[in-house]
Amino acid sequence: MKQDISALMDGEMYEDQADVFLDRIKHHPEAQQDWESYHLIGDALRQPDHLCKSFRKTFHERLQAEPVVFAPHSRTSQRIRNFALSAVASVMALALVAWLSLQVGNQPAPQVAAIPQDNTAAVRPAAAQTDDYLMAHQEFSPSAEVHGAASYIHAVAGK
Amino acid sequence: MKAGYLVLLLVQLGVAPALADPIQGNEADWLKTMVFAAHQTDYSGVFVYQSGGRVEMSRITHISDENGEHEHLESLGGGKRELIRNNDQVWLYSDGHKVKVERRQIKRAFPALLPEQISTLKENYLIKREEEGEVAGYHVHSVTFQPKDNLRYTRKMWAHYDSGLLLKAAVMDDRGYIIEQYAFMQLNIGGDIDRKWISQIRSAPADPAQQVQPSHLAKAGQLQTESSGWQVDELPTGFRKILEMRRPFHENREPVIHMVFSDGLAGISVFIEKASDSTHRNPGLAGQGAVHVYNRIIGDSLVTVVGEVPARTVIQVAESVRYAGQ
Repeated sequence: MKQDISALMDGEMYEDQADVFLDRIKHHPEAQQDWESYHLIGDALRQPDHLCKSFRKTFHERLQAEPVVFAPHSRTSQRIRNFALSAVASVMALALVAWLSLQVGNQPAPQVAAIPQDNTAAVRPAAAQTDDYLMAHQEFSPSAEVHGAASYIHAVAGK
Repeated sequence: MKAGYLVLLLVQLGVAPALADPIQGNEADWLKTMVFAAHQTDYSGVFVYQSGGRVEMSRITHISDENGEHEHLESLGGGKRELIRNNDQVWLYSDGHKVKVERRQIKRAFPALLPEQISTLKENYLIKREEEGEVAGYHVHSVTFQPKDNLRYTRKMWAHYDSGLLLKAAVMDDRGYIIEQYAFMQLNIGGDIDRKWISQIRSAPADPAQQVQPSHLAKAGQLQTESSGWQVDELPTGFRKILEMRRPFHENREPVIHMVFSDGLAGISVFIEKASDSTHRNPGLAGQGAVHVYNRIIGDSLVTVVGEVPARTVIQVAESVRYAGQ
């Protein structure tokens, strides 16, 4: 077993062998201990500034303690200039959105913002001209037929 | 009990019994019923609009009476905006001030969805009937329109089972992410609906704010349908030109060429105007929810493309605009 660990660490094991071995190691706590000890020895030999005695355990604990951040996709990468919009920070509204998202069948739902979106800096007030185009377009867009005045939401949405 | 309620509801709505069970018809009938309901139903409610990380709550009231259609849309968030429609005329208010008056230039035939548009729809979208459910306490059924290319969005619509009124809608991109959606949270169909704002419309001509943009209205009569010599070469398949016109636009400026294209569900507008120093203020791409706007200068003309289609589509369309006249 110890030879195998050594071989794996030195990269002297074939991939399929390594898979089998790693599976085996999961069921042997003493082998895991050895695995860690060998790495610690290796680290010590490389003389780093900092040695971590139980990296795996610490890492696992810290990962567990890490808060999960649900953040909206950053839209800045799309080089899209948002219209100036008021961010509605109502907790209730967010809950509604989460609920709404669930209603759209099994489509991947948008991630709900638990932190404020970072686009405030990128937001520029929409020029009055943009409104003109939006409203002029809306007059003839077929979507207005089905949606009624709700299709004007883009013009009415808070600026 | 339920049947009694339904009959009562239909009587209130004045909906013909033939339209009462849209699920029996095909998708075309389904859409027609929705269009009919959107125009003919009296309703009032609050809906939530969500796009990206943004959420807006708005109150909407729609009344159809002997004088035509009246609609009132007001945002319930900060920076209050209000929209009032009286048939073909639309007023947009911001914090109580009238900021815009828009008049639908050409009266459209009713019903607006023509048979050829329905068949176009089937060429470009896979139409699937989806589950039934409940929105704002009303029984709804849903349909998905999934495009056959990535140049338009997937749309899912939930319509009131009895009247066909659209109670919820979602727009999704080609990866299935929701771009924007809205749904009624609270809704009254028929019955006692606040009509005070309608008298506000009637008194509107006396309102001095009405004078803000008289040029829009005065010039409306000069509108003409024509071919300008401008051409769009790379529209996504299935988009057809609905109309082309020269229309009054910004104040004290030359009329703007406005072309409208549609695949039966999504619309793309192409505006062409003489570029001036002030027109080039927002070059490039802008977007909000499912609507994208793209500007580009060709010679001394400013081309603006607006559509509820993906960004790549408005760019593709704008880049393919050229002048083919003399």
